[in-house]
Amino acid sequence: MAIIETHALTRTFKKTRAVDSLDLKVERGELFGLIGPDGAGKTTTLRLLAGLLDITEGEATVAGYDLKTRAEAIKKHIGYMAQQFSLYAELTVLENLHFFAEIYDVPPAELAGRTERLLAFAGLTEFKHRRAAHLSGGMQKKLALACTLIHEPEILLLDEPTTGVDPVSRREFWNILTDLHLQGTTIIVSTPYMDEADRCSRVGLMYAGKLVACDSPRALRERLNADVVEVHPADWRAARRVIAALDGVRQVQTYGEALHVLVDHGERRLREITRALKKASITVHSIRLAPPRMEETFIAMIQALTSSPDHPTT
Amino acid sequence: MKHILAVTRKEFLHILRDRSTLFLVLFTPTLLLLFFAYSLTVDIQHVEIAVLDYDRSAASRAFVQQITAGDDLDLYAQVTSFEELDRLLLEGKIKAALIIAPDFSESLMTLRGTPLQVLIDGTEPESGSFAVDHIARRAEAFVTETLGAQLEARGLSAASLEPLDIRVRAWFNPSLKPRNDLVPGLISMVLGMPALSVALAIAHEREHGTLEQLMATPIGRAELLIGKIIPYLLVGLFNVVLMPALAIALFHISLNGSFLLFFALSAVFLFAILSMGVLIGVFMRTQAAALALSFLLIFYPGFFLTGIFFPLASMPEVVRLEAMFLPGTPYATITRGIFLPAVGIDVLWPYVVMLLFQAVVFTAVAALFFRKKLA
Repeated sequence: MAIIETHALTRTFKKTRAVDSLDLKVERGELFGLIGPDGAGKTTTLRLLAGLLDITEGEATVAGYDLKTRAEAIKKHIGYMAQQFSLYAELTVLENLHFFAEIYDVPPAELAGRTERLLAFAGLTEFKHRRAAHLSGGMQKKLALACTLIHEPEILLLDEPTTGVDPVSRREFWNILTDLHLQGTTIIVSTPYMDEADRCSRVGLMYAGKLVACDSPRALRERLNADVVEVHPADWRAARRVIAALDGVRQVQTYGEALHVLVDHGERRLREITRALKKASITVHSIRLAPPRMEETFIAMIQALTSSPDHPTT
Repeated sequence: MKHILAVTRKEFLHILRDRSTLFLVLFTPTLLLLFFAYSLTVDIQHVEIAVLDYDRSAASRAFVQQITAGDDLDLYAQVTSFEELDRLLLEGKIKAALIIAPDFSESLMTLRGTPLQVLIDGTEPESGSFAVDHIARRAEAFVTETLGAQLEARGLSAASLEPLDIRVRAWFNPSLKPRNDLVPGLISMVLGMPALSVALAIAHEREHGTLEQLMATPIGRAELLIGKIIPYLLVGLFNVVLMPALAIALFHISLNGSFLLFFALSAVFLFAILSMGVLIGVFMRTQAAALALSFLLIFYPGFFLTGIFFPLASMPEVVRLEAMFLPGTPYATITRGIFLPAVGIDVLWPYVVMLLFQAVVFTAVAALFFRKKLA
């Protein structure tokens, strides 16, 4: 049985359907990424799964408990980290951990061992007597994660845990998540970063409260049915104009002085682009085919959704 | 129970670590008490007056000299025209003016009644009416004295002129120092301050997202709320000891009743008012809103509805009914009762029942409406 399962899960705020008939199934041990534009309903979904919001319609079970009737029972089994997670700033790292340990009824005999492990895990051992207010943003996020892990939950619900954190801390944070994933913890994480989505075992794309695509990152990329042509022209401004006017070009992104062109058919369009640039007498330093990354996949999917009024489930 | 202690310890650490919070939470009630007690009970003295003496007789000069002799009234100027008086009043140089009619000494000697006119600055009625009272009192004495001398000179007894002697005797506060009655009332008002802190503390957690985090844990609603109340209850009790000590040391007020009873009933009051603070914290989304509502429900009613400054009996039925739901009302009666006539629980018990009832209602409503849900 899936550890998280929802059927037509709906939550409305006044007239907005923040989550709209969501059918989601997450198996035990998955690292599930929730992506989508701002306002797509990711945060509401995570809050519903954490039992922090009432369900308007539909059903959901988390860790075998019905979310409608047993929302309190779920809380022992989950670790939830809110988007604006803020710790008790005046408490030290250790005091924060111990506070949550007491709230979660961690057996006193295990407390010392767990605290030790988590501190080492989060790289906070040498800062354990520092007040949370005086930690860097990245360290605060890691401490927050450690606090949600103190009771060794089966399920982790993380709402954009790395937003606003520098790349090195972000990498460290994800290394921790990968370790937890390997240990068998089920993780649902929402993220605005596509490189993070690429590290998930499965990704769900939310749009206007609905789950519009749900698959492994690789399958999503392949399903996009597109290739990327990477061009490094001498005059990228002129090249951009020429390329954008060609057939089969879905979008052109600028990366410094290089262009990433999303096309429907790699081999054929690469030849056409080369020809067109030559005709316009624009020198090309290099041109090559590349697989689309999650970023292009995401943008292409969202563009497809915004241009058609009824959401296709590609 | 373990959860309650965890919340309480966390809250205590939070208060202790932040110096300014610590100071504010710990001393606000006592500081407010001192502030109000000093500012509200300073005796009126040295009120500046001007005199327009149309009579210019020996009697009128003696009279002016007599009324301005003590520390109560100071003679700012002797003027010669009404315009001058008017100007001094307008400019705020004087708070009152005395006009002595041209026939002052003549009337005095012929027993025709002695007309005196006093003008006061209506924008400061306190000083003005003080001046009127003072002049009237002195005038009476002056008349009695002068006429007595006259009569005796003519061989009559002055005893027949003895004015009516009314003596007001205030029970429970024989020296009639305003502080005696005011300070216990003020205590009941300022002891509501910890409720403001607890309302803010809950709103703070909501604003900073830590409440969302707590809602995602298995902690019970009541555990969280009670855990939050305890530190502020202790802070309040600290003030319950400190305030009477200062009242006795600084204002020479005597605590006529039992301190233990005062302490115990203050604890009941704190429980009731803190439940009210929790209720405010539960309903308000932000600290700013919690602060505004706390002032509206805790602080201002303490001023106006507990009968400290304005007798409740003079208020309309609706307001009196409203006052019954504010913990400050019964507690004001309790503090005064214990401080002044030293009454015991045999008299005060209905007020204690009222406080307990309020505490239970507020806690129940707070626990009912505080769901572990975000919206």
